[in-house]
Amino acid sequence: MPMRDIASLVFSAGLLFLLLVIGAELALGHPDMRVGAEYLRVAGPELGAANIVTAILAGYRGFDTLGELSILFAAATAASLVLGHRRADARRDPPGGLVLSAGADLLFPLLLVVGIFIVVHGHLTPGGGFQGGVILAAAFFVALLANPARTLNHALLGWIEGLAGAAFILIGLWALVEDGHFLTPLLPLGTMGELVSAGTLPLLSVAIGLKVGAELAGLLAHLADTEAPDR
Amino acid sequence: MTLELPVDLLFGLNLDLNLDLTRVMTANAIVLPVVLPLLAAFLMQPLAQVSRFLARLLGPLVLTLGAWIILNTWLEVGPAPFSVAIGGFAAPLGIVFYADQLALLFALAVQVFTLLFWPGLGAGAKSEVAADRQRAPRRDALALLLASAATGLALSGDLFNIFVFYELAAVASFGLVCADGSGRAWIATLRYLFISAFGSVLALVGIAILYLQTGTLNLAQLAQVAPETLQGPIGLAAFALLLIGFGVKAELFPLNAWVPEVYATAPARVSALLAGLVSKLAILVIVRLLILVFQQPEASQLLLVLGVLGVLTGEFSAWRAQDFPRLLAFSSIGQLGLVAIAFSIDGTTGILAGTAVALHHLIVKSALFGLANRWSGGLDALTGAAKGAPRAAGLFVLFALSLIGVPPLWGFWIKLLIMVGLVQGGSPLDLLALGAILLATAVEAHYLFRVALRLYQPPVPDRALRLAPPARWDTGVAYLLGACLVVISVAITPTTEALRVLAQQTGDVLLYIDTVFPQPLAYKE
Repeated sequence: MPMRDIASLVFSAGLLFLLLVIGAELALGHPDMRVGAEYLRVAGPELGAANIVTAILAGYRGFDTLGELSILFAAATAASLVLGHRRADARRDPPGGLVLSAGADLLFPLLLVVGIFIVVHGHLTPGGGFQGGVILAAAFFVALLANPARTLNHALLGWIEGLAGAAFILIGLWALVEDGHFLTPLLPLGTMGELVSAGTLPLLSVAIGLKVGAELAGLLAHLADTEAPDR
Repeated sequence: MTLELPVDLLFGLNLDLNLDLTRVMTANAIVLPVVLPLLAAFLMQPLAQVSRFLARLLGPLVLTLGAWIILNTWLEVGPAPFSVAIGGFAAPLGIVFYADQLALLFALAVQVFTLLFWPGLGAGAKSEVAADRQRAPRRDALALLLASAATGLALSGDLFNIFVFYELAAVASFGLVCADGSGRAWIATLRYLFISAFGSVLALVGIAILYLQTGTLNLAQLAQVAPETLQGPIGLAAFALLLIGFGVKAELFPLNAWVPEVYATAPARVSALLAGLVSKLAILVIVRLLILVFQQPEASQLLLVLGVLGVLTGEFSAWRAQDFPRLLAFSSIGQLGLVAIAFSIDGTTGILAGTAVALHHLIVKSALFGLANRWSGGLDALTGAAKGAPRAAGLFVLFALSLIGVPPLWGFWIKLLIMVGLVQGGSPLDLLALGAILLATAVEAHYLFRVALRLYQPPVPDRALRLAPPARWDTGVAYLLGACLVVISVAITPTTEALRVLAQQTGDVLLYIDTVFPQPLAYKE
C-alpha cells in the first residue's frame, strides 16, 4: 500500500475517533432550546403560517434561504460553464419505446399538479418552494428521459429562473422601502390555515419554487444534452 | 397586552423616532451591497439576451453602487458599530448584520477590489473570442455572487448565515477558477472542490456542536453564553472543526493543498480575488469566533501553531517554485500564516497587527497577481522582462520590498509590530514563532530578489516567445495599489492609530453584545 493511502487511512481513523468521542461527550437528545422554544412560541401568531418550518425558512431566516437559492444558482451556472455545447451531428440515445413514453406522458400532468400543490401550500403543509420546485423539474425531465431527442427551451427557462429569483429579492426590497427592513413579511396575515394567509410567505414560496424548478430542469436538460460517448 | 400611553409621551416617542429614522434607514441600507449583486447575478443571463452591452456594464455598475452605499453609511452613521435586524426580527430569532469599522472596511474592500479585478474589464474584454463571449455573462454572474458572498461574510453576525455565505463564495469560486476551461484548471478545481467540501462538512459538524451546546447560533448570544457552555474540550473540539472548515479558504497549513494548482491555472484576476480577498474574509470569520466565542488560550495557540507551519512550508515551497503564479501562491500561503500568527497574539496588539498584515497582503498580493496576468510562464521566461515592461518591473520590486519588510515600507512596520507582540507574549511558542518569521523573511528575500534580478538581466536576444508586458488595465491597478502602499508607508503613524481604534472596537466583546441586544435580553412574556 502506498504511503499516501496509509496516511489517509490513519487520518480518517483519527477523525472518526475524534467525532465518536465528541458524540459520546455531547448531551444528545436533550438540546438546549434557547432559540428553538421561542420559535415554536412566537412563529404562529407573528407570521400566521400553519407550517412552522416554512415560517422559519422564509420568515425568520429568509435571508439564509436567499443565500441557499444563490448557491444553487451558482452551482448551475458553474456547471453550464463547464459542460459546453453539443455538436449538431453528435449521436443521441434512441427514444425509450412505447411503455416508457406513454408512462412519461401520464406522469407529466400528475407531477405538475403535485409540484404546484406543494409549492403553493408551502405555508400550510410540509414542503415548500424547494421541494415543490424539484418535483416540477422532475415533471419536465421525465419527458426528456423517455425521449432524448426532445429539448427544453433554455432561453425560456433562463427567463423564468432570472425573474423568479429577482421577484424574491424585489419582495425583500419592497419591504425595505415600506417597512425599513429587508424581507419583512408584508400584507395582512389572514386566517391561519387558509390558502391566502401568512402575508408574503406564499409569494416567496412561489418564487423559490419557480426558480428551483427552472434551474434544476435546465441543469438536468443540460446534462442530458451533453454528448454520449461513442462506443 | 395593550399599553395605554399618555398622549404627550407618545408624541415625544414619535419625535425621537423621526430623528432616528434617517439614521436607521441609512443603517438598514447596508444589506444592499449584499443583495443588489445577487439581483444583478440572477438577471444577468436574461439581460444578456436583450443587450450584451448592458449585461457587461451591469456588474461594474452594481459594485460601484455597493461601494458608494457602504461609504455613505459609514460616513452617515459614524464610527460607532451598529446592528441591523434583517426582516425586522429581533436578534436571536432573526439574522443580524453587525457593522463595526472592521466589517465596513472589509465590505468596502470587497466591492472595490472586485471592481479593480473585474474579469471583463480592460484588455480582458477586447481579446475575447466569440466562444468566450457566450461565457461572459455566466462568468460575470459568478463574480457578482462571489462579491455578494464576501460582503456577507464581512457583515453577518449569525454563524449559520456566515456558513451560507461561505458556501456561496466556495461554489462561485469553483466556477470562476475553471471558467477559462483548460483541462489542468478542471483538475485543479476538482481537487479544490473535494478539499473544500470536506472542510465544509467538518465546519457544519462544528456548528452543530455549538448549537447543541448553546441552543443558538447568533454570535452575540454565543458570546454571552460561551463562558459557561463552551469551556473545556467540547468547545475546543468545535473550534478545531470550524478552524478546519474556514481554514480551507484561509489557506491555513494542512488544508492548502489546492492553492498552488488553482492559482497557477485559474485566470490571474480570479487568483488575485481568491488570494487577496476571499482568504482574508475567511480569516476574519475565524478571528470573530476567536474573539467572541472561543476565548480559551488553547484556541489561539492552535491558530499560532498552524500559522507557524504555514509560514515555514509556504515560504520554503515558494523558494523552490519554478513559475511565477506558483511562487506567488506559495508566498500567499506563507503570508496568511503570518496573518494567523498575528491574530493569535493577545489583546488589541494582535488584532491591530493581524488587520494590518491582512490589509497589506490584500493590496500587495492582488497587485502582484494582476501583474502575473501575462507573466504566467516559467521563471526563466521572465529574464529581461524589465526591458519590455519597465513600469511593471519597477512595481514588482516595490511590492517585493514591502513583502520582505524593507524599512521605509509598510511591510516593515507590520513585521515589527508582530515581533514586538510576540516578544511581549514571551511564551516559548511565541519565541518559536518569532524565529520562524525571521527565517521565513530571509527565505522570502532570497527568492523575491532572485526574480527581481532576473527581470533586470539583459534579455536573451533571439527568444521566440517574448513575454508581452502586462495589460494596461492591470498595470494601472498595480500603480493605484502601489500608490496606496507608498501613501500608507509615508503616513504610517495616522494609519496605525486609525487601525488601533478599529482594533479596540473589534476586541470589545461587551460592545458587540450591547450593539446587537440594546436592551438586556428578555423574552416577551
